[in-house]
Amino acid sequence: MTQRPALFVAIILAAAVVLAALPLVLPPFYVRVGQLMIYSAGLAVAWTILGGFAGYASFGNAAFIGVGAFAAGLVEERFAGLPTPLLLPLGLVVGGLACAILSAAVAYPILRLRGTFFAIAMLGVCHVCAELNNNLDVLQGSLGLNFPSITPAGWDPATFFYELYLVAGVIVFLIAWQIQRSRFGAGLLSIREDEDTARMLGVPTERYKRIAFVVSAVLTGLLGVIYAHSLGYITTDSVYRDDTNLNLIVYSLLGGLGTLFGPVIGAFMLVFITQVVLARLLDFHLFATGLLLVVLVLAAPGGVLGFVKSWRLKRRHAAKVPAE
Amino acid sequence: MNLIAQTVADGLVLGGIYALAAVGFSLIFGVLHVINLSHGIIVLMGAYLALIFSETLHIDPLLTMPLVMASLFAVGYVYQRFLIQYAVDSSAFGSILLTFGVALMMHNIMIWVFSPDMKNITPTYAFTSVKLGPIVLDAVRVSCLVASLVLLSCLAALLKFSPLGRVIRATAQQTLAARLCGVNVRHVYALTFGVSAAFAGAAGIVIGIILPFSPADEATWTLNAFVVVVLGGVGSPAGALIGGLLLGVVSTLTAQYIGPSFPNVTMFLLLVLLLLVRPQGLLGNAFAPSR
Repeated sequence: MTQRPALFVAIILAAAVVLAALPLVLPPFYVRVGQLMIYSAGLAVAWTILGGFAGYASFGNAAFIGVGAFAAGLVEERFAGLPTPLLLPLGLVVGGLACAILSAAVAYPILRLRGTFFAIAMLGVCHVCAELNNNLDVLQGSLGLNFPSITPAGWDPATFFYELYLVAGVIVFLIAWQIQRSRFGAGLLSIREDEDTARMLGVPTERYKRIAFVVSAVLTGLLGVIYAHSLGYITTDSVYRDDTNLNLIVYSLLGGLGTLFGPVIGAFMLVFITQVVLARLLDFHLFATGLLLVVLVLAAPGGVLGFVKSWRLKRRHAAKVPAE
Repeated sequence: MNLIAQTVADGLVLGGIYALAAVGFSLIFGVLHVINLSHGIIVLMGAYLALIFSETLHIDPLLTMPLVMASLFAVGYVYQRFLIQYAVDSSAFGSILLTFGVALMMHNIMIWVFSPDMKNITPTYAFTSVKLGPIVLDAVRVSCLVASLVLLSCLAALLKFSPLGRVIRATAQQTLAARLCGVNVRHVYALTFGVSAAFAGAAGIVIGIILPFSPADEATWTLNAFVVVVLGGVGSPAGALIGGLLLGVVSTLTAQYIGPSFPNVTMFLLLVLLLLVRPQGLLGNAFAPSR
C-alpha cells in the first residue's frame, strides 16, 4: 500500500469504476442505499483524518455538514439566476470556505482539550451551531431552505447523486490516503500514540492537529453540500443530526479505528444492516443496532480489521509453534 | 427585581434536580472512568418504576423511593458485573459504545413496554404552592428539591464516612494500590455502579413528578448529566450540586431574558468556556485525574 502507490491508486480507481457502473444493474431502491453508503463512508473517512489518525474523536462533525449545507444554500438562493451547472461548484466553494473559517476559529480553543472532553466539546459546538441556525431568522434554519435541482437533463436524480457521491468519496479517500502516507500523517499518528512525547521530539503537534481539523471539517462540509442538494430541501434538524455525530464514531469502531479502510467497511456494513436487513423491522431498529454495538464491543473490540488482524496473528503463531 | 428572584429560585429548584440526576454519572465517571451513556435510561427506569409502584400500591410517588432505589441498585450491580466489566479494561471507547448500545436497546424496549407517549406522575398535592415573600414555588417542586438535597447529602456522607465509601474512594484514587490492600475491585466497581443506578432512579422519580417523560428523553438526561459533571467536577456529590445549580440557573435565566429557545446555546457555550479555563471543573477533581 505504501510501497506501490501507483498500483494502489489503480486498484482504488478500478473499484470506483465498478461501483460507478452498479446503478445500471441495480434496482432504484439499492441505488438509494448505495448513495447513503458512499456518503456515509466519505464522512467517516473525513472524520478519520482527525479522529482516527490523530486520535481526536469528534462527536460533533454534523456541525460542518450543517454549516456547509446552509452556507451553500443561502448563497445559491441569492445567485439563483446563474446557469445550473455553475450552482453546485459555487455551493461547494462557499460551503467549504464557511467550514474552513469556522473550524479554523474553533480549532485553537477546542484542540486544547483531549479525549472525551474534546469529543463532548465538539458536540457542544454542533449544538450551538444548530440552535443559532434555527433561531436566527437570516439563516432560515427553522423555515427551511430549498435547493435548486442540479440534475442534468436526461439523468435520473438518484443515479446522478450516486455518481456525485462516488466522485466525492473517492477524492476524500485519496486525500486521506495521501495524508496517511505523508510526514504529516506520521506526525498525526505520533500525536495519537503519545502527544506529549511527540511534542518533545519536535513534532509541531499544535499545527498538525489544527491542519487535520480544518481538512476534516472542509471535506465533511463539501459532502454536506452535496447531501443538501440531494435532499432538495433542508431544515436545521435534517442536517445537524446527532445520529450522524454518533454514527461517524461507530463506523470507525466497527471497521477498525485509525485505519483507512476501517471507516469505509464500517459505513458500508452499518448502512446495509440498518437500511436493508432491518428495513422492514422499524420497531426493532434501535434494539438491533444496540445489540450489534454490544456484541461488537464484547467480541471484536478492534473492529472488523482488528478482528482479521488478530486472527491472522493467531494463525501465524500456530504455524510457527510446531517448527520450534 | 421580583422577576429575577423568581427566575433564580426556579433555576435553583431545577438545578437541584439536575444535580441529583447527574451525581450517579459523576460517581461512575470518577471511579470506573466509564462514560455511562445509558445513564439517562436508568433515570427513566426510576420514573417508570415509580409510576408502576405508586399506581399498584396506591402510595405517594416519593414514598416508592426505597423500593425503586433497591431494585435499581440490583440492576446496576448486575449490569456492571456481567456486562460493563468486560469493556472497562479494553479501551476508552469500548465502554462508551457498549453503554450506548445498551441505551439503544433499552430505549426500544421501553417503547414496546410503555409506549412512546408522554407519561407523568401526579401526586395528590400537585396543585398547591408555597409562598416565600414575593416568590411562588409549587409544593411539588419544593418537595422534590428537598428530596434531592437530602439524597445528595446522604450520598456525600456515605462516601465520606462509611466503610463502603472508603473503599470506593480508595479504588478511585489508585486501583492497583487498593487491590494490593485486599480490595475486591470488581465487587467495588459493581457496588459503585449499583449506588449510582439507585441515585439515578431516585432522580427519575423526582423528574417524573415534575416533568412529563417519555423514552425519547433518555439522551437529554445523559447529556445534562455530562454537562453538570464537567461544570462541577468529576466524582463528588458537591461538584454535581454546584454544576447542577449553575446549569439550572443559567438555563432559566436564558429562557427568561434571551429567549426560550436559547438555553442550550448558553449551556454549551458555558461548557466549552469552562472546559478551556478550568478543564477539571469548578471544584476540581475529587478522585484521580480522568483525562
